[in-house]
Order: sequence, then structure tokens, then C-alpha cells
Amino acid sequence: MTAPLIKLNHIERSYPLGKQQFTYVLRDINLEIEEGDFVSVMGPSGAGKSTLLHLLGMHDFGWTGEFFLDETPVHRLKPKERTTLRNEQVGFVFQNYNLLDDLTVYENLDIPLSYRRYSKSERTALVADTLDRFSIVGKKDLYPRQLSGGQQQLVSIARAVIAKPKLILADEPTGNLHSGQAEEIMQLFKKLNTEGTTIIQVTHSETNAAHGNRVIQLRDGWIIK
Amino acid sequence: MLQEIRHALRLLFKNPLFALVAILTLALGIGATTAVFTLVDALLIKPLPYEKPSELVLLFEHFKQQHLDAIPISPPEFLDYKSQLHSFSKLAAFTPATYNLAQADRPERVFGATVSAELFPLLGVQPIRGRTFRPEECATGRDDVVVISERLWQRKFDRDPKVLGSKITADGRALTVVGIMPASFEFPLPLFNITGAQFGEQADIWQALGFTDTEMKNRGSRSYGAIGRLAPNVAPQQAQAEIETVVRGMRARFPGNYGKTDSFGMTVYPLKEQVIGGMKPLLLILLGAVALVLLIACANLATMLLARATAREREMAIRVAVGASRGRLLRQGLTESVVLSICGAAVGTLLAIWAIALVKTIGTQTIPRLGEVQIDGTVLLVTLAVAVATGLIFGLVPALASGKPDLTEALKEGGRGSTSSRRHNQLRNALVIGEVALALVLLTCAGLLLKSFVRLENVSPGFNPKNVLTAEISLPALSYPDNKSQSNFFAELERRVTNLPGVTQVGLTTILPMSGVNSDASFMIEGRPNDDAHPGPDEEDRIVSPNYFRALEIPLVQGRFFNAADKLDAPSVVIINQALAQRYWPNESPIGKRIQVPFSKSPPWSTIVGIVGDMHHRGLDQPVLPEYYIPVAQIPYSSTILNVRSAQDPLSLTSAIRREVQAIDPALPIAHVRTLEQVIADSVAPRRLAVLLLAAFAGIALILASVGIYGVMSFLVVQRTHEIGVRMALGAQRRDVLRLVISQAAFLIGAGTILGLIAALLSTSVIHSVLYNVSTLDLSTFVLVTLTLALVALVASYIPARRATRADPMLALGRG
Ligand SMILES: Nc1ncnc2c1ncn2[C@@H]1O[C@H](COP(=O)(O)OP(=O)(O)O)[C@@H](O)[C@H]1O
Ligand SMILES: [Mg+2]
Repeated sequence: MTAPLIKLNHIERSYPLGKQQFTYVLRDINLEIEEGDFVSVMGPSGAGKSTLLHLLGMHDFGWTGEFFLDETPVHRLKPKERTTLRNEQVGFVFQNYNLLDDLTVYENLDIPLSYRRYSKSERTALVADTLDRFSIVGKKDLYPRQLSGGQQQLVSIARAVIAKPKLILADEPTGNLHSGQAEEIMQLFKKLNTEGTTIIQVTHSETNAAHGNRVIQLRDGWIIK
Repeated sequence: MLQEIRHALRLLFKNPLFALVAILTLALGIGATTAVFTLVDALLIKPLPYEKPSELVLLFEHFKQQHLDAIPISPPEFLDYKSQLHSFSKLAAFTPATYNLAQADRPERVFGATVSAELFPLLGVQPIRGRTFRPEECATGRDDVVVISERLWQRKFDRDPKVLGSKITADGRALTVVGIMPASFEFPLPLFNITGAQFGEQADIWQALGFTDTEMKNRGSRSYGAIGRLAPNVAPQQAQAEIETVVRGMRARFPGNYGKTDSFGMTVYPLKEQVIGGMKPLLLILLGAVALVLLIACANLATMLLARATAREREMAIRVAVGASRGRLLRQGLTESVVLSICGAAVGTLLAIWAIALVKTIGTQTIPRLGEVQIDGTVLLVTLAVAVATGLIFGLVPALASGKPDLTEALKEGGRGSTSSRRHNQLRNALVIGEVALALVLLTCAGLLLKSFVRLENVSPGFNPKNVLTAEISLPALSYPDNKSQSNFFAELERRVTNLPGVTQVGLTTILPMSGVNSDASFMIEGRPNDDAHPGPDEEDRIVSPNYFRALEIPLVQGRFFNAADKLDAPSVVIINQALAQRYWPNESPIGKRIQVPFSKSPPWSTIVGIVGDMHHRGLDQPVLPEYYIPVAQIPYSSTILNVRSAQDPLSLTSAIRREVQAIDPALPIAHVRTLEQVIADSVAPRRLAVLLLAAFAGIALILASVGIYGVMSFLVVQRTHEIGVRMALGAQRRDVLRLVISQAAFLIGAGTILGLIAALLSTSVIHSVLYNVSTLDLSTFVLVTLTLALVALVASYIPARRATRADPMLALGRG
């Protein structure tokens, strides 16, 4: 058996409350996620779902415990190495899309590539390819405010996968969408998943979770299932 | 209104850092303006301390063909003018004089002037005690009366009223004190020009002037200044026209004195121009400079307020939503900015007071009327006006730019990306670009001035000023009536001082280079025509002791220096400089040629025995002039300037030299003791002061522009936190973020620099008149200041850029 894509041992995350006081947001998290999984993280508001996702996405380093990503011990990496690892492995999808207002669809897709030092020709090819794959060629010169919410999330997912990450982290990707658009996004995730991308999404919707193969329930920082 | 002021103050207290930066910025801008305006007001605007000073003119004669542009007047000429000219209600003659005042401990040399009786009424200044001169006292034999200054009265006589009518001893003569002039009275005023020449000491004694019989017989012996008060409603041009007529008559009556050509004449010079005219271009440049500094400060404030307006957009929208009118908001905003700028003005005035005190300590000795400069009511009023205007300007910009707040948009979006804030961003960028441009203009001007000053300081004067002490000694005619007693004194002085330990050379001269004193005299060259058609040459003359050249290390080019054998009864000799040799003997050696110098004994011809190097006698920025030197032994003189070269700090010799002088004659003071280096430094003092001030203003501009860049970039970073967070989530690394922010700053800096370069290219010609040997388009200066500005501005933007890289993507992205 191959090693899991993600392995968390005794992860704890706390924030200082006041003098010598801490509030625990994640408690003794032990978790393995296999390559090719489609995981849904569920739980009430304030349970620590976003915190877990930022941790997995290597935005946050304030935790203790062990975190292996594709057998790399993240807990031992220097900040710079983590950024590199993140850039190689992870793509992000946000609830509020976070497209850059002043950039066109084309330019938004180009950002992750430019930060990963792709060559000019690779970038052109990849962006064209992705526009094609997501059927948004016609929108490439539009600005985000000229798109509907569903279309913006589509672009945002396209942007998350353009650099071919192994793992996609999506924090309530359909939170701002109505159910029809949400269904389209889930289909898209499903398709990406069958193509081999591991997906971890935060969702409040059982319907969305049903597209995945696994659900993790969080309560007050604990995994309960 | 009161409520609004209170509200404004509360806002300031709520954000003390903002208030501090704003008030400091304003203080620098307004303080600089106040300081310079104080100078301008005192030196350019305020009238001279006489009655109706605009009517006062100086009169100088000239011989155009001999290149004598402004020379004094002889007594017979003065009397001619006085009787024939009707354009003047009064004319007075005067000449500067020094007095060796006898006193108990050691004698003191006091500066003063002999003046004709008309002078005080002409100037319209009354004595505080006693009276001024009666006309009958202005005659030889009756002229032993003096008026003294309040300063001297205080210093020497402890304000004893009994001094009136008593006698003081000066140069061995008893002079009766008849009046005391107020401390504010000053005459003659030091004439000013940018080379610092002609700046003299304040006069403390005025003696009645009686022309001697010999003087009255010699129309060509010109040693008196003439000052006139124009008759009411007579313009200087009208007076000039009348002078032309009178002069024509004089030329007709005395062809032997004036020749047959129209070379001779006299010109009217308004007194004020002569006194401060030379300072004018520098002052105007400084005024322009502070205007730029103030503009930059305004731009800075406007950007700060804009940033705040953007941040407060929601608050404003809410205020409008609950019913505040736009006019009300505008008034609130303007009240706040005017309150700010008045606070700034208060601090700025303190800065200005300090700066003026500093300028005074640097320049009082060398810049005329600087001592009188002070911050007064007029200045304060102007400062207040500037402050209010400043506040309105920088307050209006953001207020108007905000326009009508768009309620729905502002409330919905919380200000992010709204059209109004986008307009703010554009305006803010424009302001910063403008600031950088203005700062560059100032830096360039300061750079050019600094470079020309450095060039000037590096001009070799033609002698070695290091380690030379100079001091002036004048021999009173009573105790040294003849040539023999005078030369004996100087010979003994030279011998004694030479023997002092540490002294290497001692030389005497009548005229010290770069002291502002000049002398020229005509001479004849043997075998060359000298008549009306060919007026004889007229060049700079100096009377020196044999070792003068060695003391100043003026190089011998050909022939020999003077020596002890060139005595009174020995054949007459002269030494000329290279410039004179080149002008009159361009193709042959002048050594052995003979010239006839003024006052020469018979036989009248002096042989040229040596050629020495040239010097910049009139100032480092002045051209080298032809000069001829006469040995003091052959034309003895009653006053001299001692030049002592020493192996040690020359000033340490002062007391030893004073002892030696008093060992020969206890009644003799030495005056004006300073090093030759100091003499040169004094000669460029106004220029140094201007360079210093302009450099200070350019420095302030640089700081303000950097603060502006820093502020705008900080604000942009805050504004873009979310975007930066997204970019980091998408893979941006530190350097990507740095590059993002810095490139935006670089755009602003670049645009400002290009604009500034264009503005500088167009405007440096303004300072052309005060540059020395530096082109207004000097490439290296332009390159250097541009790089400096760009570098400083980039550093200023690096700090917020670094802060941007620490943006926490989690916070930036919001908590999902
Ligand atoms: N920076 C922080 N400082 C203190 N508490 C925090 C911070 N970030 C998150 N929390 C707390 O951690 C808990 C979990 O937050 P989060 O992971 O955003 O929950 P959710 O499951 O709704 O995504 C919440 O109670 C939140 O208040
Ligand atoms: Mg959340």
C-alpha cells in the first residue's frame, strides 16, 4: 500500500485569549487522506473547518503536531520550502472567489503560473488550454464584475487547477451560489477528482457532500467521525 | 464654528500620529517660508533706516574709456555739483575713516567717517543727544568735532551724559563730542555685492569734513563718496539728465582734467539698489525655493487627508444618510485642515525663530543689515495668511475630489473599489508625482549651487592663504608726519614680528586681496603715447614690502622680488603680474622696461624688475586683473596690513604681535585681526549662506517627498491587503509581493522624476546669475540628484512594501 497523500498526527491549533489563556480551535487531529479522495469537511460554524483548510494549505504555521504531505514532513520545513511545496501541490478555491478585480479572466488565470516561474510560452499554452477545458474562451477578456457568481467561481476553480496541483482545497465554494450553480461546480469537482485530483471541500450541504467519497465531521475542534 | 473647531481638535487628538506628522510637515513648510520671508522683508522690502529713503541716491563718476566704472569724487567737483545741480534738495560728501582711540588699557581702532554738515539733515535722522555739525565746522581747522554712536557711548562712556562737550583723543588729536546718534543709525551703509566685497564695519564716529587747500586745488584727487536726496518729484532719470548737462560744462571748462572725449561722466545709483541689490537674486531664489517646499508640504497633507477620506468614506456616507448637508461636511473638513495648518504655523514660527538666529550667527559679520533681521508683526501676519491659505488649499483638494458620496455603493461595498476611492487613488498618485517633481527641481538647483560653490572654493586664489595672519595698522598723521617716521615704524615692525618664534615670513601691503578693498591708478609706459586720443593705462596698484610675495607665497615668474636695496633714494622699481605683462608687452619681455607711476619722485621712471603670478584679488569668482606693485620703501604710506606667515596656528600669534606693536608705540592699536583663510571665507559668505539655506530646503523637500511616498504606499498596501493575500494564496512569494508594491512606487517615482527633470531643465536658468563656472544644465548634477531622489524615494517605499509581504493570507482572505 502507498503512503497517504496527507497524514496529520496530533495536530493542535490554539489562539491566545489573554494572559496565559488559550482557546483551542483544533484538538488532537489525527487524519489520513489518500491520493484521489474527495473529502467533505462538515460541521457547525466556528468548528474549525476553515482553520483546518488553511493549515492543510500551508497558510498557517501556528500549529503543533506532525503534518506529512506526500511523505514530506511539513512540520520540519522552513517557510520558504513550505511556499514552494504549496505552489507545487495545492490549488485554492474560495467562497467569495477572490478573483482580482482589476485583472481580466485571462490575467487572473495567468497569475498562479507567473508566480511559479513558468515560461512565457508555457503560460500562454496552459491558459489557452484551461480556458478551453472550462469553456470560458469567450470570457477571457472580461473583468470579474462582468461575470455572474457561478461564472466567477468557475474561473476561480480554473485558476486553482491551472498549475496542475495534486490537491484542491475549497472553503465553502458554493456558499454564495444558488443550487443550480452549485450542482455545476460539484460536477466539475467530480470530473477533476476522476482525473486524479484530490479534493477537500468545506460544505454545509449534504447534497454537495454526497458527491464526495468521504465526510469528516468537526465539532469544537475535534474530529468526531 | 466653535463647535467645528472643537470637533476638529478632538479628531486630531484621536489620531495623534496623523496629527504629529501633519503638523511637522506643515511646520517645515511654513517655518521655511517664514524664515525666508523674514529675510526678504528685512533686506528687500523694509525701507532703509532714513527718512524717505527712496529719494536717496549715490553718485559715482566714471571714465568709460579707462574702464573706471564707478569712482569717487574730488572736492572741487563736489562743490561744482552742489552749486549747479538742482535735481537734488541736498548733496553731502563723506569718506570712511578709522580712528585710533586712546584709552587707559590698550588703544582701539574705531571705524567711522568724515562727513559734510549736510549729511545728517539729508538723511533725516536726529541725534538722541546733542546736535550734528554746523556748516562752519566743516572747514579745516574747525573740523575737530565729532558725533558718536549710541553703541560707542554705551561701550566706552557707560552712557555718561557728560561726554557731550568733552574731548576724546583719537590719532593724537583732541576731538569734541557734540552729539550722539541712535543705535539704529548706520552710515555709510555697507555696500553689498554677491562677492562679499565692500562690506565694511559699522561706523561709530563721524567727524566734520573740511576739505584742505591742497584737496581744493586738485580736481583729479578723487576720494569722496557723494550722496544726494532727490528734490521732491524728481525721478533719478531726470537727475541723470541734468548731470549730463553739468558734466558737459565741466568737460568744456577743464579739458586738461577730463580730456576731449565724453569718457568722463557721473551716474545716479538709487541707494537701496547699491546696499542690497546684490542680495536680491539670491533672496528671490530662496523665496522660490520655500514656495516649492510649501507646495510639497501641501501636497503631502492633501494625500494624507485623501487617504483618510477614503478610509472614512463609509462614515461620510452614513453622515449624509442621516442628513448632513454637503456644505456642512465641506466646512467641517476645511475647519480641520485650517486648524491643522495653524498648529503647523505655530511650530513653524518657532523653527523660523531658531533658523533666523542660526543664520544670524553665521552671517552677521559678512552680510549687510542681517543684524537687523527679526520676526515682527508683519512677518507673523504673513505667516498666518500663508497658514490659512495652505490649510484651505490642501483641505479643498480631498473635499472636492470626494464629490457627492454615493450612498448605496459606499454603504454596500464598505468603500472598497468604489468610484470615489478610485478617483482618490488617481489624485493621490498625481499629488505624489507632483511632489517628487518639485523636490527634484529644488534638489537640482541646490545641487548646481553647491557644485558651483565647491568649484569656487577650489579656485586657487593665486597665493597660499594657509597659516597667514593679517592685521591692520594705521599711523596717525600727528605722530608720524613724514615718510621717514612712517618707514622707520614699518621697518621696525617687520623686524620685530619676523623675530617672533613661529613666524616664517612677514609682509606688508596696502591692500589685502579679497577684503573688498581695491585701488587702481593710471600710469605711463615709456615710449608710448599718452594724450587725449590715447589715454594712459590704468590698472590695479598695490604698495608692498619686499617680503610680501614670500609671505603670501605669490610665485616669482621672472626677474626678482623687491629687496632691502630698493630704498627711498635708490632707483625706482616696480613688479608687475603676468596679466599686466601680457596686456602691455604681449610679445616681449617687460623686464627692464620703464613706467611712470603716480606720486613718483624724480626721476619719474620706475624700472620693471620682476613678474609675479596673478591672483583673484576681487574675489574667487572674479577674473584675474593686471596689477603692479610698488615697494613701500619708495612710496611710504600711513597705513598698512601686516601679513604674518607662521608655522603654527596663526591666530595664536595675535597677542605677541600686539605686544610688539605696542613696544614701538603704546598708542597704536591693531585692528581687523583674522587669518587670510578667514578673509577668503568672508568673501564668499553670502554665497555660502545661500547654498546652505537652499541645501537645507532641498533636504526638507527630499524628506517631505519621501514621507509622501511612504504615506501613499503605506495606504496602498493597506488598501491592497486583500488582493495581496489572494496573490500569496495563489503562490506569490515575498519577492513577488515586494516587486508588486515597489513597481507601483517606481512608477510614481519615475513619472515624478521625468516631470521633475523637464521642470528642472526649464527652470534652472533662473539661478544662472548666481552660478559660478557650472552650466545650468550640468549633466553630472542632474544625474546625481535624480539618482539620489529616486533612491531615497525607493527606500521610503520599501518599508511599506516589506510590511505587505507580511500580510497574513488567512486574515486577508477573511474567515471563509
Ligand atoms: N486569529 C484568530 N484568533 C482567535 N480566534 C480565532 C482566530 N481565527 C479563528 N479563530 C476562532 O477559531 C474558531 C474556528 O474558526 P473557523 O476555522 O473559521 O471556523 P469555521 O469552522 O466556521 O470555518 C472560531 O471560534 C474562531 O473564532
Ligand atoms: Mg469557515
